[in-house]
Amino acid sequence: MTTAIETKALTKDYGTGRGIFDLDLTVQEGEVFGYLGPNGAGKTTTIKLLMGLIHATKGSATLLGLDADRDAVALKHKIGYVPGELPQFGGWRGSEVVAYIAGLRGDLTDGEVEAVAKRLDLDLGRKYREYSHGNKQKLALLLAFAPRPDVLILDEPTTGLDPLHQQEFYGLVRDARARGTTILISSHVLSEVEHVCDRVGIVREGHLATVGQLDQLAGMRAHRIDIVFAGPPPIERIKAIPGFEQVAIQDHRVSGMFRGEFEPLLAALASSRVTKFESREPSLEEIFLGFYK
Amino acid sequence: MREGGRPTTVGRTYERARPAKRVQVTLLRLAVRSHRTGLLMTALALTIGGLLNSIGFAQIAGDNPAARALFAQQMELLGRQLTYLLPAPAQLDTMAGYLVWRWFGSAALIYAFWALLAGTGAGRGDEERGLIELWLSAGVSRTRLMAVRVAGFAAVAAVSIAVMLIGTAIGAAIGQEPLPLGPLALQGIAIWALTLVAFGFALVVAQLVTTRRSATGIAGVVVLGLFMLNAAARSGVDVGAVRWLSPFYLYERSTPLLRGGSLDAAATAALAVTALVLVVLGVRAFVARDLGGTLFRGAPAKTTVEWRPARDPLLRLPVLAIVDQQRVWIVAWALGLALLAAFLTSITKTMVDALGSSDVPVLRAYFERAGINAYADFVGVIWFSTLLLLISLFVVAQVNGWAADDNEGRLETILSAPVSRGRVVVERIAAVLIACTAVVAVSSLAVYLTATSTGISLPGGRFVFASAAVLPVAYAFAGIGHALAGWRPRVAVDALGTLAVVGYFAQQFTPLFQWPDWVSNISLYALYGTPMSKDDWGGIATLVAIGVAGTAVAIVAMARRDVGR
Repeated sequence: MTTAIETKALTKDYGTGRGIFDLDLTVQEGEVFGYLGPNGAGKTTTIKLLMGLIHATKGSATLLGLDADRDAVALKHKIGYVPGELPQFGGWRGSEVVAYIAGLRGDLTDGEVEAVAKRLDLDLGRKYREYSHGNKQKLALLLAFAPRPDVLILDEPTTGLDPLHQQEFYGLVRDARARGTTILISSHVLSEVEHVCDRVGIVREGHLATVGQLDQLAGMRAHRIDIVFAGPPPIERIKAIPGFEQVAIQDHRVSGMFRGEFEPLLAALASSRVTKFESREPSLEEIFLGFYK
Repeated sequence: MREGGRPTTVGRTYERARPAKRVQVTLLRLAVRSHRTGLLMTALALTIGGLLNSIGFAQIAGDNPAARALFAQQMELLGRQLTYLLPAPAQLDTMAGYLVWRWFGSAALIYAFWALLAGTGAGRGDEERGLIELWLSAGVSRTRLMAVRVAGFAAVAAVSIAVMLIGTAIGAAIGQEPLPLGPLALQGIAIWALTLVAFGFALVVAQLVTTRRSATGIAGVVVLGLFMLNAAARSGVDVGAVRWLSPFYLYERSTPLLRGGSLDAAATAALAVTALVLVVLGVRAFVARDLGGTLFRGAPAKTTVEWRPARDPLLRLPVLAIVDQQRVWIVAWALGLALLAAFLTSITKTMVDALGSSDVPVLRAYFERAGINAYADFVGVIWFSTLLLLISLFVVAQVNGWAADDNEGRLETILSAPVSRGRVVVERIAAVLIACTAVVAVSSLAVYLTATSTGISLPGGRFVFASAAVLPVAYAFAGIGHALAGWRPRVAVDALGTLAVVGYFAQQFTPLFQWPDWVSNISLYALYGTPMSKDDWGGIATLVAIGVAGTAVAIVAMARRDVGR
């Protein structure tokens, strides 16, 4: 396998501990790589470095053998990009934005634009300012996918998309992958990238915490549990439940982070009267609190 | 969500939870805060202006009655030729008379344009930044929000005007001719009323269009038109009762600082009532319309969905794509300048004839030093000096757009395409020059046609040369502007605007007040020379060199900087 994206000791130091530090990362050609981290961890900084939009304090980044900074222009012919913060195009129509970017890129065909626009159900005849956040995101996706680039760099690409169009996005990613496109997707939600990613890297406070196959990270999967009992909670039984951590008890309410199968948990609760049981996927911050504690 | 001025259920609960007075105070503080930059800029600049003008009068007018009388005679004659810019001169042998003529008219115009910017900011700018949505979602009613916003501006404008008047009064006291405080306060009231009219008008316009930029452009053209209407009447053009439509006319009817003058209560009341009516209309329109929409919405015209890129071929071409995006803006500038050009040219003959019949040495010296000997020279000096300033301000507006490209993520999008940073700089400057060429061509054509129709024979070759020579000035400003924008985008606009305005006044005041030549030469416009009478290739080459140096610095700065919000 050939390396598509490689960073060596890549560092962008904004001072006061903000930025990304000594990042060593490798993504193979044709791979879909999930780049995960809580807000402010350094994901967008990494992506801007890969795009040559900001300059590294030290270290280097190469994409397809080209230097991300020095060869930025040549590289952009091969890269599709979705920014983390959407630009403002005011009174332009979507079709005018696409025509303008098509003029700058030179590799955007009307046919491809039409195909992606139809898949995303994006009317290009409307003014940009009239677009909802989701539609602006769709336009950013269209501009990234339609040129059929060799590398896609997507910064939180599903932000604002409804579930239906999230599925369409996953379909676009799978199709691109089938064409051999290398894709780096940043996100702060684990479940979002597990649909499509081969490997996942997790960044925290500017440092790459871990990289691995999705199944290797399965141990990180957890649920935030909230239980409200009708009477006093069976504290001893709860504390004995395997995989139930960070337990907090307040009056009749018990909350904590749960990893593993649900059966032991449900069995432990069977003899108690429960008025509310809530399970949700925790944020990455919550996972990190448990995983690295 | 249409709210109709009533807070939502959630909003009522929220407001009930806090004392209404505290909410009001918080809103007012925010309203004042949103105008603090304008307050600081106007208070500082206009206070210094008032101080300099009043001290300057003491320096140049002489200190005995005979010298004063001679000065007044000379300035009055000059003033009668400048009625297209300044109020009609009166009692120029006194500090008060001089300030009313030379200073307060200009200050009122500056306050009106500040109010215009503030009005579009309150009526549309806050909305574009999402602040209105935030406040409305916090349970504040639309009426209250806008009313407090208006009150905030009114308070801030009053403070700025008061500070300006204090500065002027201090300057007059230093000049040993203190101004009477009562009439000075009445002068301030007249300026304040005019300022509020401009604010109210801008607030109304902001409800009729979807962007602050459009609102500012439209309101600016109308306010400039109203100013010119009054200026035309001052210059002897018979405009009839239409003159009453101009708030500048109503403002100038008050002359409390002059001997025997007073605050024109009816005119000032008319200004106040107009301001009130406009504000009420603006607030009602804001309550009635959708957020992000305009007051009057046509029926949805589009029924088909578009899947393909726009077919406009210009959008795909380097440089022309940028020009194409700004076509409405460029056309508006070209037409606005053409109107101004036609007006100034139309009064040229009258003014030069009046000058020719005078034998005031100072005036002759002034016009000789400024290079004015005939109609054509007058057009050259008056029109091209005005054009230089306005074309520079056009470039400043473009620099503001470059800074916004960065803040609003468009530059990031452009650089994510295979486009070098250097190309971005070069394309932007090239696009500005093309736009300037269009604006200069249209306005110069207006000058030429008006001159021909009024019997002024302009030397065609020289006139074309003088028009073309404006472009190196625009290039120099664009180069400097981009170099600054690559270094400090937020500072660039203010710095370049200051360079333009200070340079203009240095050029205008040096012959008027017989300042040393170096004062005039600090202005970039000095390099433009007087191309209607003689060639100055050295100056033009220097302007081009400044433009090239600025472009080079801009390319380096752009390459070195980080991009993104």
